[in-house]
This record gives sequence, structure tokens and C-alpha cells, in this order.
Amino acid sequence: MVAQRPTTAERPRPADQDYANIVRLEGVNMEFGAVRALRDIDLAIGRNEIVGLIGDNGAGKSTLIKVMTGVLKPTSGTVYIRDRAIDLDEYSVRMAHELAIETVYQDRSLGEKQPLWRNFFVGRQITNRWGFIDVRREKEIAGQILLKAIGFRGAGIGPDSTVKELSGGERQGIAIGRAMHFDADLIVLDEPTVALAVKEVRKVLDFVRQIKASGRACVYIEHNLAHVHAVADRLVILDRGEIVAEVRPSEMPVHELTEYLITLQRPR
Amino acid sequence: MRRAFSLARLEALPIIVVFLLLLGLFMATAPQVFLAPFIYTTFLSTLPPLILLAVGLTLVIAAGEIDLSFPSVIAFSGFVFAVLFKEYGLGWLAVVIALASGVLIGFLNGLLVAVIGLPSFIATLATQFLWAGMATVLSGGKSYALRGIEDSSVWQVLVGRTVVTDDPAFWVNAVSVQAFWTAGIVVLIWFVLNRHRFGEHLLFIGDSNEVARVVGIDVAAEKVRLFALMGFLAALAALFLTLENKNYFGNQGQGYLLTAIASVLIGGTSIFGGRATVLGTVFGCFIIGMIEAGLVATGLTGAWVRTVQGIVFLVAIVFYLLVDEPGRRQAFFRRLRRLVGSRAP
Amino acid sequence: MRSKLGKALFGAAFACGLAAPAFAAAPEAPGKGITIYMQMGGNPGDGATLARQTGAAAAAKALEVSSLNEQFSGWAPEKMLEQFKQAMAARPSCIVIMGHPGNEAFSDLVRQAVDQGIVVTDGNAPLSQLQAQFGPKGFGYAGVDLYAGGKLTAERMIEAGRLKSGDEAMVYGVFSQAERGQSEKGLADTLEKAGLKVDRLEITQEANSDASLAVPVLAAYVQSHPKLKAIGTQHGGITSVLAEVLKKAGKKPGEITVGGIDLAPATIDGLESGYVSVTLDQLLYLQGFIPVLQCVLTKAYKMPGISVNTGAGVVTPQTIKELVPLIEAGIR
Repeated sequence: MVAQRPTTAERPRPADQDYANIVRLEGVNMEFGAVRALRDIDLAIGRNEIVGLIGDNGAGKSTLIKVMTGVLKPTSGTVYIRDRAIDLDEYSVRMAHELAIETVYQDRSLGEKQPLWRNFFVGRQITNRWGFIDVRREKEIAGQILLKAIGFRGAGIGPDSTVKELSGGERQGIAIGRAMHFDADLIVLDEPTVALAVKEVRKVLDFVRQIKASGRACVYIEHNLAHVHAVADRLVILDRGEIVAEVRPSEMPVHELTEYLITLQRPR
Repeated sequence: MRRAFSLARLEALPIIVVFLLLLGLFMATAPQVFLAPFIYTTFLSTLPPLILLAVGLTLVIAAGEIDLSFPSVIAFSGFVFAVLFKEYGLGWLAVVIALASGVLIGFLNGLLVAVIGLPSFIATLATQFLWAGMATVLSGGKSYALRGIEDSSVWQVLVGRTVVTDDPAFWVNAVSVQAFWTAGIVVLIWFVLNRHRFGEHLLFIGDSNEVARVVGIDVAAEKVRLFALMGFLAALAALFLTLENKNYFGNQGQGYLLTAIASVLIGGTSIFGGRATVLGTVFGCFIIGMIEAGLVATGLTGAWVRTVQGIVFLVAIVFYLLVDEPGRRQAFFRRLRRLVGSRAP
Repeated sequence: MRSKLGKALFGAAFACGLAAPAFAAAPEAPGKGITIYMQMGGNPGDGATLARQTGAAAAAKALEVSSLNEQFSGWAPEKMLEQFKQAMAARPSCIVIMGHPGNEAFSDLVRQAVDQGIVVTDGNAPLSQLQAQFGPKGFGYAGVDLYAGGKLTAERMIEAGRLKSGDEAMVYGVFSQAERGQSEKGLADTLEKAGLKVDRLEITQEANSDASLAVPVLAAYVQSHPKLKAIGTQHGGITSVLAEVLKKAGKKPGEITVGGIDLAPATIDGLESGYVSVTLDQLLYLQGFIPVLQCVLTKAYKMPGISVNTGAGVVTPQTIKELVPLIEAGIR
């Protein structure tokens, strides 16, 4: 579905290797000084499922995905990617990219003042051997992604538009489109629908469904239970750094889920 | 809001217009000076240090940082060069060591900012004092006269004159070589900022450190590189200044701090980072440099120089703020309409 | 007042030797068509610059000079060189420079200018080599013979403060600038010859162009040297802050003998209150007037450079009173 990949973005990817889980955490703990942000987390993300991660503010959702994607190094525990344990001292955002794991942060994924073509390729530019960027080619591909993958047709948005000019939903679209273009096997979404109008939310949820349809996995952090309930295959509920429940949306309607989360608020 | 502000799309257009207006003004008020070639050849020999500093600073500001320590590099690296060249007769090696000293100072700035995590404003303010002080201590506050240096290859290659005829009054003979070096470096820096991976990383870092990290940029390493590059350019400026004056003055370079920062901002680089124009900076330098010569030639006393520089600076900053931030622009025009009255529909 | 003095000086200059009848009868003003670029030194209107501006303006008016373009450098030598280049590009008839960057730094530039037929002359700090070389082309000097000025100041300080062998003294100066430093060198050497223990302290570039920045340095020095008997400087701005420094340090007038230079407003207060014992009057007005006159004399009458030592006397608390009105007019 996506056009040709740029040459420099080729990475040593375990091509079509057989694996059950794209990411698996085992006994992961994360401590910031005296604060235990994550406690004994065991969590596996299958190769083509959408996992919704829910819980109250400070439940540890953001920390969890930061550990998954190489931003934070856990205090203890093991991280498996495609069923292989990785050396946590080497794990970084860059390495996660190389292992086809992409993160779309709420509003931290795109450079506001930069044009879209730069935003698509930053971090893995198409360059010559001296590091100079092939601007024409980058713009060309950016244009194709905009048209084909994201479906921005005639909306007045081109590779030269800056992110500032886009609506919230469009921004999420760009970030997700970028992740898909670079053949991510796992796309992590951090509250993509926060502060969006209803129409915009629908667009974003469509993007999420596209992720699944194209055979990838997705971890989806969301505050709005209705949104995540609508698209997730499985919901993982975090509370105070622990996984307290896993449910299938088909087994628990939204209102019951809400009730359940409220009960969690009570002091245990 | 989707329709881009078309003027802003052409790099540095507003500032080029201002430059031309100012030039036209001075041509009218001081034709004997500004319609002759000599003032321009003079600029070509006196402006290169300012331009080198300002284009370096453009990258620093693009990345959302600031460097206040470059005047001390002008003093320190200038001293290193002068003493090695004059007292030890090291020739080109003195040039290399002086440049290396600038890179080292910049590198240390980078470590303070990117690794230790000090705000660059504080870190480079401190190192400004440190290295300017070191230069005074090591030189004992003395100046070094480099008389006769124009016979050396160092002088001729770096700041010589392009002698093409025997006629000493022919203006082309007065064009200085450092203008060509500087032009080359400006072009290179333009490509680095606009076409190189490093420049793109700087822009994203300036946009947001967080975003830069998320998209996989090694923010700390790029910042260290950035400050080292700034140190290199400042050291080169120090060489040009010292060679052109044929003299090292203790504490030289202090006058460049505010003029270089002003040139960058007048040129249209955003003080908030993430957006920068090398071309605008170069024209900003010309404007800052031209105002003094122009006002004095016009017959206004030199006392006016800073006042007019201040006005141009202020107007430029306000202009860019209004252009860059559509919200503020609309609010501004709304207020203006209210002020003018209700004539507008 | 100013123009009267201007005319008087102009007349005096004529009387001194160029009163050839043909010229005396000429209705044409000698300054007509002459353009001058002049380096004024510090910042516009400051104590060590103002009287030079008024003197230069008076001369330009009296001689009807076509244009007088003032340049201010904040006393930074590299700025003076840059301004000289800008001046040269404007192709004026004459450029008046400050001697601070030194003979070597100015040498090639002055030669280029003289080769182009521009008259160059010097004020405030001497450039003796250039004067010897280009004197016949009009390179003159109007200013203090720096070493002698420093010596004179020191001698008067010794007198006024009854300083004796073994007393502690501090000289605060710009020792790093070869020529300019001569004035404080003369001061310090003379005190040393009289047997005083002299500490030489360098004025930083920041304090050099803004003397108020020197206040904490001096205050700390004074407090850490309780036996200090004398402070000498040949920096006009520094002289003007010294009275305030001593007052803040809790010293009584006369407890420390202060020898300085120039007659900035605060220096006058210092003299009146007795904190400043001696100040060398370098006649800044003349340092502005004479170079302009030099330009005209050389350009119009091909006269060589004249050298005028403007540092012939000192002002003391006893003599300050009658000078105040003239100082306020920006003349003394």
C-alpha cells in the first residue's frame, strides 16, 4: 500500500521471521528514586493486534510505552522484541526504529515549524554520502504518502506545508502515515484523540483500523474509553504501576468498563 | 490560515528590501561615499568577522540555544594565534592551533549544555568570563603588534588583497581575500542548515527537544557538534580580525556580542528556535555594519549610530513576530482598525 | 562663548605665522570644501570626550569647514581601526585619529591614506613614529606628552599629599596599550623614584569604556589595603568615580591622595570635596580644536604637522572654583 521505500531507510530487519509477539515485557520494574512507576509488568503484544492501554493519570501508561520504545531504560526486567531478549543498555529510540517500532506521541511527534517533507524523513533522511539531503526525492515521496496513504487530496496540504497549518486530526494522520511508510511492525499511539473535534476523532480511529488492516500491531493509550473500546482487540488496565486487568471489548461494554475504573479509584 | 503568507516564503525577502531601502537612503544622503566603490571594499574587509560569528550564531539560535561566549573566543584564539605566530614563529601551525582552541572552547560549551544540562545562556555567560579572563591572564593584558605579517603566506592567503593591476587606486585591488573565504563559508553553512541532515536536526531540536528525541535525533551529540562549530567559526573570525588589524588587542571582540545577536534577529531567524535564515543574517550584518558608516557619512554625529541600530532591530523583531504568529497579526490589525476608526467594513 | 574662543584661537593661529597679507585679505574661508572624519574617543558627551567635541565643533565653525563627521569608539582600539577604514572609504580631506591602537597597528593604514592625499593627524595619545614619518604631510599631535603628563601628576601628588618613601600607592591604568600606557607608566615610575611602593593594576576593557564598572574593583582594593596612601590614574572616567569610591570606603578627604586626569563633572565634585587632590588638565577642548585647525592648515596652506603638548598643568582643590563655569560650558 505504500510506495517504494527510500534506500537509506533500509534497515537490518528480521525479514518475515517467525515470531509470536512483536514486543514482550517480562518482570519489568521502573523506579524514579523512591517512586515505583512500574511494578512487575508482564505484557505481550501480538503481531497483529490492537492493544488498548487504559488507566488513570499517573497509572504508568506513558512510562510503560517509553520502556517499550527505548526512551527509558527499565530498572529491572527483560524486554523481548520478536521473541528475542534485547540488551537494554543498547536499546534506544533509534534502535527501536531499526527494529520497526514507531511511536506517535500526542503532540510531540512532529516539528511544528517544519514542513511536512522534513517531518516525514527526519531521523532517516535520504542523503548522499556526505549527509546532504536529496530534497527533491524526499518531497516527491512525501507527496505520494500524503495522497495515497493518508488521503489528503486537494486539501491544500502539500509537502511544503508546515505542521502548524494542520488540524489536530491531520497531525495524527501525518504521524501515523509516517510510521506506516517506514514499515513499522508496531505503532504506539499516545492519546491521539485528545482535544480533537468529533469528526477528527473518526478520522484518527480510521487510521488506527488501517494499522490493523495492513497487518501491523498497535499499542493505543487513550483516556477516552469509548474511543479505545471501539477499535482495540484487547484492553490492558493499569493502576499505580501494575496491570490489574485485561479484558476483551466484546466481553465488557463501555459503561461497565467505566464502572470498573471508578472502583479502582477507591483506596485499596 | 492554510494559505501560507507568501512573502515569508521567499527567504529573507523583507530584510533584503530593508537593506535596499537603507542603501538607497544613504546613496541619496551621502552620494560621494555610497556611490563610490571604496566603502564597499571597506565593508568586505571589516564585516567578515561579524558575518562569520552571525552565521554560526544563526545555527545556534535555530537550535533554540544561545552562545554568549564567542567574544571571548575572539580574544582567546586571537591571543593564541598572535603569541604562537610572533613569539614562536609557528606560521600555519599557529593558525591550526588557534582554530583548534576555538573548537575546544565550543566543545566544552557543548558538554556543559548538552551533557551537564545547564541552560546555554548561563553556561556560555560563564565561559565568556572564563576565556576572556584567561586571555587577559595569559597575555598579561598586553597587545601584540604583528607588523610585517603581510609578507607571510598566512596573511596573504587568509586576508590578503586581490591585486590584479599595479594601479593602487584601482578599487578591485582593495577587495580582501577574507571576503571570499567568508562567502564560501556562508554558502556552506546555508547548505548545512537547509540541505544537510545536521541542519535539519538543529531545526527540529530548536522546534522542540522532546520531538527531536522522539524522532530519533541524538540531541546531546548534535548540540555538542553545534557549539564546537560555533567555536570554530569564532576562532576563524578571531584570525581574520587579528590578521586584518595586524595586531592583537587584549580584550578584542567584546564589541561583537550584541551586534552579532542583533544581526541574526534582524535577519529573521526566530529567537524561539526552529526557523532560521542564513541569507537574512548576512543582510542583517550588512545593515548593522552599514548604519554606522552611513550615518557618519551623512553628517549625523556618531552619537546616532546606536539609536538607529536599536530602532531597526526593534522594528524587525516586531515585524517578524507579526508575520510568524498569525494570531498576533490578526489581533494587531484588529486593534489598529479600532484605533483608526470604524471606516473599515 | 565658544565661538568667541574659537575666533580668538583662529586669530592667534594666524598671528603666529600665516598672516601673509594675501591670505588675510582673502574673503574665502580656509575651511571651505574641506571634509573631516574625526575620532572623538569614548562615548558621545562623556567627561573625557565632551570638551573635545565642543573644541572640534568650534574650530569647524570658525574655519567654516564643510563637514565634520564624528566617530565614537568607546576607546576600543580595534574599533578605531575599523572606523579609520570607513573614514578612508569616504575619501575625506582629512582624518583625525586617536593614537590608542599604536604606531604599528596604524602604520599601513595611515600610509595608504596619505598616499591617497588624505591628511591624517593624531590626538590624545601620541604616535611618535608616524609623526616622524608623516609630519611633513601634516601628521601632527595635539595631546598630552603622556609620560611627562603622568610624571607631572605624580610630582604634584607627592607635593599635595606629602608622600614619602615607603608609602603604599596604587596606579590604575591601561598599561597594556603600548603608547597610551605611557601616561600611567610615567606616573608610576615617578612615584617609585620617590621611594613609594607602587602596585600597578590593569583597567579592563569593560571598565575602560564604562568607568562605573571599576567602582567595586577599587572599593575592594581600598578596603584590602588599609595602609594605602595614594591612588593614581590617567583615565578620565576612573578619576571621576574615585571620590565616590573613597567616600563609600569610609575614607576622609585627603586621607588618600588621589591624582587623576580631566575635569569630568564628578571629578569637579571630587576636587571641591577634597577627595581628589590633583588632576591633570589635558585641555580636551584644544585636543578637539587643534586637529581640525591642523587639517585646514595642511590642506589649505600645506603646513606640516604641529605638535602641541596640552598637558601643561594640573587643577587642585584651590584652583577649581574659577574653572567651573567654563567646564559647564564644555570648554575646560
